Amino acid sequence: MNLSGIVVICQPPKLSAVSKALSELPGVEVHFEDRDQGKIIVVQEALSIAAEMNGLRRIKALPGVVLADMMYHYFEDDPEILEGLTKSRGKQPMGESDVIPPLPIR
Amino acid sequence: MTVSRRNFLKAGIAASTASMAGLTLTPAALSAAQETEKEWQWDKGVCRFCGTGCGLMLATRNGRVVAQKGDVENSVNRGWQCVKGYFNAKIMYGQDRLTQPLMRMKDGKFHKEGNFIAVSWEQAFDEMERQFRRAYAEKGPEGVACFGSGQWTVQEGYAMNKLFKAGFRANMVDPNARNCMASAVAGFYSTFGTDEPAGNYMDIEHTDTMVLWGANMAEMHTVLWARVMNRRLANPNVRVVNLSTFRNMSSDGADLEIIFKPNSDLAILNYLAREVIARDAVNWDFVNKHTIFATGPYDIGYGLRADPEGKWTFPEEADVVAKELKVALDKHEAIGQRRQEGEVVEQNSRGNPGAHWSISFEDYKKALEPYTLEFVAEVAKGDDSESIEEFKRKLRELADLFVDQQRKVVSFWTMGINQHTRGTWANEQIYAVHLLLGKQSQPGNGAFSLTGQPSACGTAREVGTFAHRLPADRVIPNPAHRQYTEEQWKVPAKTISPKVGSFYAKIMRDLQDGSVKWAWVQVNNPWHTHPNANHWIAAARKSDNFIVVSEAYPGISAKVADLILPVAMIFEKYGAYGNAERRTQHWREMVPPPGNAKGDLWQVLEFSKRFTVGDFWGEQTVPGLKAAGYEDNKLPSVLADAEAMGYKPTDSLYKVLFATPDNMQYKWPDPVAKGGGNHTSEALGDGWFVEKALWQEYVPFGRGIGKDLADYDVYLRDDVRGLRWPVVDGKEGTWRFNEEYDPYVTKGAGFEFYGKLLKAIPSGDLDKVTNPEPVGLPGKAKIFFRPYSAPVEQPDENYNLWFSTGRVLEHWHSGTMTRRVPELHRSVPAAVLWIHPDDARERGLQRNDLVWLESRRGKVQIRVETGGRNTMPKGTVYAPFFDEGVFINKVCIDSACPISKESDYKKCAVKVYKA
Ligand code: SF4
Repeated sequence: MNLSGIVVICQPPKLSAVSKALSELPGVEVHFEDRDQGKIIVVQEALSIAAEMNGLRRIKALPGVVLADMMYHYFEDDPEILEGLTKSRGKQPMGESDVIPPLPIR
Repeated sequence: MTVSRRNFLKAGIAASTASMAGLTLTPAALSAAQETEKEWQWDKGVCRFCGTGCGLMLATRNGRVVAQKGDVENSVNRGWQCVKGYFNAKIMYGQDRLTQPLMRMKDGKFHKEGNFIAVSWEQAFDEMERQFRRAYAEKGPEGVACFGSGQWTVQEGYAMNKLFKAGFRANMVDPNARNCMASAVAGFYSTFGTDEPAGNYMDIEHTDTMVLWGANMAEMHTVLWARVMNRRLANPNVRVVNLSTFRNMSSDGADLEIIFKPNSDLAILNYLAREVIARDAVNWDFVNKHTIFATGPYDIGYGLRADPEGKWTFPEEADVVAKELKVALDKHEAIGQRRQEGEVVEQNSRGNPGAHWSISFEDYKKALEPYTLEFVAEVAKGDDSESIEEFKRKLRELADLFVDQQRKVVSFWTMGINQHTRGTWANEQIYAVHLLLGKQSQPGNGAFSLTGQPSACGTAREVGTFAHRLPADRVIPNPAHRQYTEEQWKVPAKTISPKVGSFYAKIMRDLQDGSVKWAWVQVNNPWHTHPNANHWIAAARKSDNFIVVSEAYPGISAKVADLILPVAMIFEKYGAYGNAERRTQHWREMVPPPGNAKGDLWQVLEFSKRFTVGDFWGEQTVPGLKAAGYEDNKLPSVLADAEAMGYKPTDSLYKVLFATPDNMQYKWPDPVAKGGGNHTSEALGDGWFVEKALWQEYVPFGRGIGKDLADYDVYLRDDVRGLRWPVVDGKEGTWRFNEEYDPYVTKGAGFEFYGKLLKAIPSGDLDKVTNPEPVGLPGKAKIFFRPYSAPVEQPDENYNLWFSTGRVLEHWHSGTMTRRVPELHRSVPAAVLWIHPDDARERGLQRNDLVWLESRRGKVQIRVETGGRNTMPKGTVYAPFFDEGVFINKVCIDSACPISKESDYKKCAVKVYKA
């Protein structure tokens, strides 16, 4: 599971509409709003990392959104990292390496 | 994970993000943020990717990084990060991370054609040493070389530089930064006499006009671009101009977009300079006090390997390579250079392309005369679908913005200008326009050369890990600079060779012709990223070469290697980077490296233990060495002097160069570590704090000459987020060369370009030197005239399209790291070829079709893209180079700026047809 803290910036008059649209996106929770600055803070939860990236792209594409970016990223339980950890943290076994594929020469 | 734990985390992350974004929070929300983060250990870090140098905060738990946020305390990014930055931590956890040395073996022994077998460090270093001694014995000091990096930490670059230049007595170190900003350096040297920008990122908030010269900041310097866009949104008067050879993402945020033909930036810049004069907008007070006019030869070649016998050239590329020695001027060059069309010009100044001399203002003006609006529009208009009138209107508008007395102007550039067969010239021309207007070295006014790599400035340039450089603006050919360096390093006089070593491309060529037989690669991927790659891969695999590659992931260079050494990555080691605004940022080791991986610095030091000064400090034969005070082709023995200094021939390089009595005073552990580990010091096991000691050894080089760095502990303080040099009296630098801001400027001078390099030059007219007597010009900058020059290879009937390459937002360089992050990989999995829909149609191609992209040098298969983030003008195609499955550098030409030796990745001729 990945959690990301995202700042969304919109034109202040459109804040309510953008906030509503955000809260309707899957995995997205609106936590804070600042009407004067036109800023909305959301947390996005995504199972796979690809879903997380697509989610950000969806947020950026909402009408009224000027800028949206992740500022905070939590990935302690990310399954892909856990797999990477178990595979690579130990010493590679002495013997022929299976990680070097052949050279791409013409 | 339980629901309540998840909600707890979310509330904390939301509150923390909100406070980073400047929202006012209730005490309850604030305490939620603190509660969540309590279990983690936070420390400051710096982004491992681009030259912007964003600050990060990393959270660790149980020996690994678990969370990351932008650093709000860091003035570079104020908490923001781009999509690459966001994955700094994750790149350490890819599944194919290398954690054990791997060597090509057959029957239990090293064998060039063997398969990669995991070996111990001991075995790895044994073979590496054996091969090193063989190459050195056969070829001498210049038979060994190092491909270094602008991604080296400062200390890593410093150590390797010292090992080669003082230990091995070979200036055979050159960084990949050569292919990234060497033209910028050459431009700084020739114009100002000292390297690195005068301005800083606050220029963005001070200016009202920003001009992008072939720099797609929206994708390449994303966080700076966010600052540019903020500035533009906040102030209706701000104008942004994007000059490019195709429409890219930066165009979306620009008020004016100018699509020009490859190399015609040279003409556009001359048009601007001409216009400044024609409109009587020259700031004469500034120009008279602080500048002189200069020019140099035009017949300087194209940086290709001159090869009249065709020994090193594919038959298909011979026609282009032949131009290296002789070229017929085309119509536009002839006009721009005041010559006749078709005139054949022998490239006689190839030997000294950077020579230059002062000229009068009258000559300067005369040289610019041909660059009228009519002429430049004809040379430069890059989009067929645009009318010439519209294009002229845009050029005029650009000139209006520059000359407007009310406007401040900042020019930004990186690869479009630097990776250019006339890259040094183009840098100089941008300065020329700013200097003529007096719009330089002031808040919001200045030509600002950005960098691509995180420590291109901090390591490659400041430490001087180039074949011709020494720390802090010192250069190999200058005897006083060598002497100073030898004294600092406490090595005998004449230890350092007076001969400039091989630049990056030359090391490739040296491997090809067998003059170099041993090479060590650190923190870069030369066989993926150097253009015309088919030649270099074949050269590296020649039977008697030995290639060592220190790597984290198996990229193309690792596959080319004979020995792969697994490295510690970014937060697995102590380090420091210097960014594009001269900000030096240090970080601590936060997590241990995996398995048997070890940092590049440990590798250098450990390898140095295997050699003694007696191995290198006797007399050496160096073919081609010619310098005052030296016998030709010889480096003298310095062993007698060494003994007088108290060294024995049996002393190890480790002891003499690194673990010196001075350095051993910096003990490990040290309180700045706050109890954390340091695998470098711990693995060496002799109780010194390597990174701190080397930093303290390095800083005196820049002190008192305008490049002052602070002491080590200052950078590690919690309240410091890097410091811009020069750091004088505890205050960081802001705008260089300006009396109001720069303590190095003489009181009362106003401005002073106090750089010392290339400051005594002869004088002459536009064509030649007329008085060879050098005249000094202390405190002055040079305004250069440089003419339009056509690209050495241009589309013809066979190869009928322009081709350009570069990065994409989501991937870093050759993708060895970013392609490990699944989400980055999935968002842009394979490189695509952007092409104009008409060009696709004419070739019977549709979006997603697989095609061959072919040049004289090689071909690759790639899929076609007619939409998306880039819009190509007719006749030009673009593909990024990150993807080793689409090995773009087989196609690219290895022409380069002859002055800076930086390759031109931005233009060659190709054909595209269905696969
Ligand atoms: S802009 Fe550059 S330094 Fe900043 S986060 Fe992105 S890649 Fe890193």
